[in-house]
Amino acid sequence: MPLLAQLQTIYQRKDQLWLLIWLGGTLLLWGWNRLFLNAPALARVETGFANTFIIALLVILLSAALGWLSGVGLYFLEKAGNSLPYLTLSFLLNIIRSIPQIVGILLGYILITVQIQSGALQRPGAVIPVIAMVISLFVFLEISDLVRERIAYYRKRDFYNAMQVCGIPEWQIVNREILWRNSLAHLFNKLISIFGVTIFLLCSIDFIISVGLSGNVSSVNLPATLGSLLAKIDSKQDILAIGHVLTHPGYLPRLFFEHLQGITVAFLIVFTLLCIYKIANGFARRHEL
Amino acid sequence: MRKKLLEHISSIILVSAIFLVLIYHFHSGYRQVQTRQDARIAPYLALDFIDYDDPLHKALLKESLNIFQPGQEPAHEALIRAIEAYRAAQIAALTRQQRNLQGLSFSKLGQLSGMYVNFILVYLIVMLLTYYGVQTLAVLRFIRLQQNRESYLAELASFLQRRFRDQPKTLHLRDLRRAAALLGKALLKGLLYLVLFSPAYVIAYSFKTRFDTDSIFFMVLLGVISNGLLITYAQKFFTFLVAESRKGYVQTAIVKNLENRYNLNAAGGVSLGRVLNFRKRFPGHVFQHIFINARYQYLATIKEQASFLITGLVIIEMALNIQGHLCYELMQNILYRQYDIVLTIILGIFLVVKGTELASDYWQYLEARRYDNEGMG
Repeated sequence: MPLLAQLQTIYQRKDQLWLLIWLGGTLLLWGWNRLFLNAPALARVETGFANTFIIALLVILLSAALGWLSGVGLYFLEKAGNSLPYLTLSFLLNIIRSIPQIVGILLGYILITVQIQSGALQRPGAVIPVIAMVISLFVFLEISDLVRERIAYYRKRDFYNAMQVCGIPEWQIVNREILWRNSLAHLFNKLISIFGVTIFLLCSIDFIISVGLSGNVSSVNLPATLGSLLAKIDSKQDILAIGHVLTHPGYLPRLFFEHLQGITVAFLIVFTLLCIYKIANGFARRHEL
Repeated sequence: MRKKLLEHISSIILVSAIFLVLIYHFHSGYRQVQTRQDARIAPYLALDFIDYDDPLHKALLKESLNIFQPGQEPAHEALIRAIEAYRAAQIAALTRQQRNLQGLSFSKLGQLSGMYVNFILVYLIVMLLTYYGVQTLAVLRFIRLQQNRESYLAELASFLQRRFRDQPKTLHLRDLRRAAALLGKALLKGLLYLVLFSPAYVIAYSFKTRFDTDSIFFMVLLGVISNGLLITYAQKFFTFLVAESRKGYVQTAIVKNLENRYNLNAAGGVSLGRVLNFRKRFPGHVFQHIFINARYQYLATIKEQASFLITGLVIIEMALNIQGHLCYELMQNILYRQYDIVLTIILGIFLVVKGTELASDYWQYLEARRYDNEGMG
């Protein structure tokens, strides 16, 4: 009975349910691949998966830091009446906002390539944080906006003035009372969404680079991700086989044995994006955000 | 509004000026740039028995250097990289020469303008379709919520539970049919979700052998249904609808006998025709007010949606190598290192985003004038 109750609780908490679905689905897929995918291909998929997730995790850490700092910084600059630094910072942020993320990240990748070729970025381990930095530069604004929105919302409440009257410094009210104690769920929810956006952007940019710019970066060792794995010719052929099933439905079972690498990578990307969306929605609903 | 307008115009002027200077810099650099040979790598390039395209030869050279000059491994690594960079630059220069790629010219600018107009056209069509799709999907989902409908799987589970509790020993064909229909709907919904969350290149490659994936129609279709655009913003709109429906004025309106039933096409309910209409209006129904207020909040997210949409279109054109399109051209010019053209294209894309931001802010300002006294500044 307690197990049934627990299951019911998890069913109602959609974020936890979808996290379990994602973990279960990924593990099932890994088990299937252990049985039917050749070892070198499986190793490639595992590396791509790990790199993608490490970069995405780094991006949410960096975005949280950048978003928090810029949001709070803008608030205090505006309040101090120091208009030049405030205008400059908000102007810069608006310019970043007006550059479509994929274009900005593509330019960042070109710079990374140049750095690798010139020898400034030598260790493969150093490339991953730099990629994360480039991506976070174009996604952190969502956190920054949220931080400012939360401060503006609580700024109108009575407790804000009451705490100031009590002599509590404003930076403490903003950082501890507003953001840490009263906005953590909002920030966490936004970070879940950013995690999804990062995976989407990272896979897309790696796919584009591997398909279209391979000549330019072939000599450069960018870390393998799910996107670059999907762009490999054997993966692409696996994906093309899906179209074949439309006219030859009998071919469907063969997809799961003979075209496993491409199908696995594509499914991992799509399934992860779907689950993250559901987790973020479930989290927002549970915390009534 | 004046402040926002000033902000937009100043950023357009400043960014355009920076880009124009950079474009001029790269353009005038073409005649001067020649592939310079580092004195350090010259003796190694003269070794004609080494094929630098062959990774094995490069590895052998590196190992030989490491053996004959021990303790200088990082320098040897740097040397190989310098050789690779020099050769890449040489190939790029040769390609430029062979293809007569001399950067930005008036004819090139004319060619780019055609592509740019095409890009804007596709963008506007996709924007219009997603604007409609987002609202329609969200409204349908909201109506389903108001009808207290569960998910198909939950409906199936409760149906089976009820069925086996009431008549445990008999099983009718109609019960099986209903269960199969619910399961089929759940599977279809799952499949639809997977399609909506698929990056464009996954869908396009899946159907590349079946359809002409290079057509404008397919681009528009991909732009609307892929990359999670439609579903993400439909969810946002749905959240606004739910938040509005919980506000006090809605309860007051219901108490004052405004229509509050959500049965589709039933008397006093919501007409499906109105839900599917481009200009959605629900006169006499409380939902009209919920919808208007939710739409007002949604207008603020249009800028974000537009930027994400452009990201999606760039991905589609680049990943599918759709020749003759703006972003394919962008990629090709990155490849041939024609950075003046690259910057011109990026400036064009920046102007599209800025134009959308301006239009969106103006639209929001007009709406604010109608509904919100505070939002007029």
